[in-house]
Amino acid sequence: MLPTLFCFLVLSLLTSSCYALSDYSEQLVLQPLVPASVLASFNFRSNASQSSYNQQHFQYFPRSLGQILQHAHAKELHLRFSSGRWDAESWGNRPWNGTKEGGTGVEIWTWIDASSEEEALMQWNTLNNALAGLFCASMNFIDSTRTSRPLSTFEPLGNHNSGSNLHLFHGALTREVVCTENLTPFLKLLPCKGKVGIASLLDGHKLFDATWQTMSIDVQPVCPADQSGCVMEIEQTIDMVLDIDRSKRPRGDPIPRPLPDDRLICDQNRQYPDENSCYPLDLSAAQDLTLKDLFGRSIQGSCLSPADSTYPVCVAASNSLEVYTTNALAEYKATSGYLRCLALPEKDEFELLIPKQDHARFLPVSTPPIYVERSITGRGQERGGIRVLLRNPSPTHNVSFVYFEALPWFMKPYMHTLKTSIPNTIDEMYYRPGLDRKRGSQLELAITVPANQILELSYDFEKAILRYTEYPPDANRGRDVAPAVIRIVNATTNTSEHVGVAAYLRTTPLMLPLPTPDFSMPYNVIILTSTVIALAFGTIYNMLIRQFVGADEATSEGLKGKIIVALVSVRNKIRDSLSPVATTGPEREKKNI
Amino acid sequence: MGRLLQQVLLFAAAALLRLILFLVFPSLPDFFTGRVEVSTPVTSFKRLQEGLFLYTRNVSPYDGGVFYQPPLLLTLFSFIPDSIFTTVTALLYIGLDLASAQALIEIADSKLSGHELFYKSPRRHSRWGSLAVAAAFLFNPLTVISCLGRPTSIFSNYAILLAISKAIQGKTGNAIIALSMAAYQSMYPAILLLPLLLLAHDVSTQGIIGTDTGFLVRHAALFFGAISALFGLSYLVTGSWEFFASTYGNQLLLVDLTPNIGLWWYFFIEMFDSFREFFLGVFWLHLLSYVGGLSVRLRTQPLFVTITMVGLIAVFIPYPSISNASIYLGLFPLYKHIFPLMRTTFIYTTALLYSIVLGPAFYYLWIYAGSGNANFFYAITLVWGLGFSLLIGDSIWATLRDEWEVTRPEMKDKPIRQI
Repeated sequence: MLPTLFCFLVLSLLTSSCYALSDYSEQLVLQPLVPASVLASFNFRSNASQSSYNQQHFQYFPRSLGQILQHAHAKELHLRFSSGRWDAESWGNRPWNGTKEGGTGVEIWTWIDASSEEEALMQWNTLNNALAGLFCASMNFIDSTRTSRPLSTFEPLGNHNSGSNLHLFHGALTREVVCTENLTPFLKLLPCKGKVGIASLLDGHKLFDATWQTMSIDVQPVCPADQSGCVMEIEQTIDMVLDIDRSKRPRGDPIPRPLPDDRLICDQNRQYPDENSCYPLDLSAAQDLTLKDLFGRSIQGSCLSPADSTYPVCVAASNSLEVYTTNALAEYKATSGYLRCLALPEKDEFELLIPKQDHARFLPVSTPPIYVERSITGRGQERGGIRVLLRNPSPTHNVSFVYFEALPWFMKPYMHTLKTSIPNTIDEMYYRPGLDRKRGSQLELAITVPANQILELSYDFEKAILRYTEYPPDANRGRDVAPAVIRIVNATTNTSEHVGVAAYLRTTPLMLPLPTPDFSMPYNVIILTSTVIALAFGTIYNMLIRQFVGADEATSEGLKGKIIVALVSVRNKIRDSLSPVATTGPEREKKNI
Repeated sequence: MGRLLQQVLLFAAAALLRLILFLVFPSLPDFFTGRVEVSTPVTSFKRLQEGLFLYTRNVSPYDGGVFYQPPLLLTLFSFIPDSIFTTVTALLYIGLDLASAQALIEIADSKLSGHELFYKSPRRHSRWGSLAVAAAFLFNPLTVISCLGRPTSIFSNYAILLAISKAIQGKTGNAIIALSMAAYQSMYPAILLLPLLLLAHDVSTQGIIGTDTGFLVRHAALFFGAISALFGLSYLVTGSWEFFASTYGNQLLLVDLTPNIGLWWYFFIEMFDSFREFFLGVFWLHLLSYVGGLSVRLRTQPLFVTITMVGLIAVFIPYPSISNASIYLGLFPLYKHIFPLMRTTFIYTTALLYSIVLGPAFYYLWIYAGSGNANFFYAITLVWGLGFSLLIGDSIWATLRDEWEVTRPEMKDKPIRQI
């Protein structure tokens, strides 16, 4: 319920200020979560009319990104930088229905306009390399081994003209650690460059300390229904779940410490053997928060011109929740009773206080359409299995979705071992096997899970051993497997205005330990194997080209031969004189070699 | 008892042993299929099942990195319905083992091993009976384990034995076609073409000295024609030539580096990329270099040359397994008459036993326990390779000495040297 609330309310707020033509808008939604977290959702939207975009007149739309997209002929781009894990059990449905979420690391999917496959691939490479430079992320490593072409998982969200020949590419770089060097270019794309407005709250120390965070960039052409001309829209979103306790730790002393004894409140329902034991109650359940606690700073001024009557800062909780602000500002309360939005002062500092209150005043936790968990089974570094648990919590509705997985090439799945715990749940299957060192395997399944059931999907795979130079510097850490993407095809929510909006979920990534050779041994291996081969070849070659003679018929050659002859004759003489029976026979036999 | 009755009893006992193992221990076949000593990427039964799965669903199995086996195997196995797949394949592999043993009996019955057309060994009367040779093959633990693990190299093993027995019986055309099928399944039996042609030539010219080059050329052409026909059939079955790069290309260029009992995998893992092509060329050249020398030097004993080449294949191919070793160990008892002449029996026997015992243990330590590293298993592959090649080398020495003693009969049992 909440995410649809998000979309609906943001749209409605923006329509209040001529959505189709407003060049820039921003919004921050703070939603307290149970027990003591806050979901902070920053949304920045800029437009440029299609004609000014094509002529490279950039005002609010960032020039750096626009020129890259034009150079690579990318008509629609979705870029995600994520870290952490969304706890669906505690927090419910993902924000924006998961449409602005990405897998851990960097995830990018784009539609490129090209006349042929090869040209599209080249443009995709160009795009990745340029974006790697712009965002200081190693996206140049998204080569053919990390690229896939999903069939039904992603649909273009923008309005493209029917004549264009669009190719979808999806790339994931799970190993990338997202940090401040990715945040800074992200903020530089904004018109106010993160200096004023809600973007002034964003700080790398707090953002990347969050339990879960996603930075997303969506660029697409939009043609509004009122025929006012197509625009190129860029939407930048940062979602983060901040733990209030953790945010309150001072930066100079971030070590968590236990409460002093006098502030410790013990659970009275338990038996204690003596006075020195205590089961502390989870008092972090209720915390008050200010923007300075959460973000380390307060909002400096406003990035919007005062003529726009917008309310950028919203709190998504029941209207009965008490919220205090530094200035008396215009407020807008939504009719649903679960959202209120505040205007920002143009130049002053803005601070917000939400004192500790009952959880009942928070937004009710929504049930996601499906819970998914994926893990690797098996032991050893030769083979393993993947097991995915898909749980449908709804008691009445089946849930249909597309499960998309892109596996690296060194993980070789055996699709003939694919098993489901409930029969007849896989409606369709698309599988493209991977080629060694060229591309990974791609699996897309259309699955329907019946109401209230848990579906277990499992299959075996085999691990490949890599060449010496293909291992990363820390070879025993293992390699990363990109998260699986689930696209819900029919949402179980009963809000009718979002039937067309797909919901997305992503699983966590996997760590795949691979068998490693001994890295200190390249020279030793070469010489040892060559020795064995030389022994075999040499022995056989010698045998084939030499002739046989009797041991004594061979003439001993050289100094060594003479010495041996002398020594053997001395030995024979000694033996003759010592042995009791004189042996007869004209020839003495030498030891054969 | 009649000879036929003895043979039937032997075959029944061997079949019964395998059937019991298949039925009483149902997880044993999959256990052996999963072991690297039995299955290699180009012969693995599990990969065959995966290829079959993709093939029956109209996805090209050659467009992936899992399946490296030739297409006609897919057509053969696709005739078996899914419900009885495991039973029928078990019976198929047991049947192949028995057919291989039958071919071995025919080879032993011909008594050609000491008594070839141009060469009569002075010791040729010291030999084991054909049924003893077949029993040694059928009850060899390596053979039984290969049968349970069901690698597709059993097909080429049978084809090689069939080719040798048909060549001995004078049916050269059949022999060449059998060899072409073996070479189609895995590339290496093509190396046996020259010795096998010489063997067939000797048999068909009945001991008349002189090389009929027309015979050789005709049958070599037949070989290439048969292989081309098989390639053409594969093209029809799969609809494209991409199986070429996937099956033979993979073996030539060693794309898949899965550990096995051979010498290639670790060498090419640890190698830097700029030297790959050079060493691939060197290793292939090394394997090919034995045929010419052996065929020329031992021209009068082409059967021995064929058997020796089978043994050298077992050590020096990119993806060897114990099924290659088991076919050599099955053919080796035919040469009992040279056993007394072999010099260092103790060394290589113990080396082979040592590696058979420690190989699986060290592999487990590396892959599962994590307390050993790859060098342990690599060392075992070195010992195995060395032991096997010493065995082959010793047998060559013994044969050469036996040959020499025909010209110098007074040197029997006397020590000799080579210069």
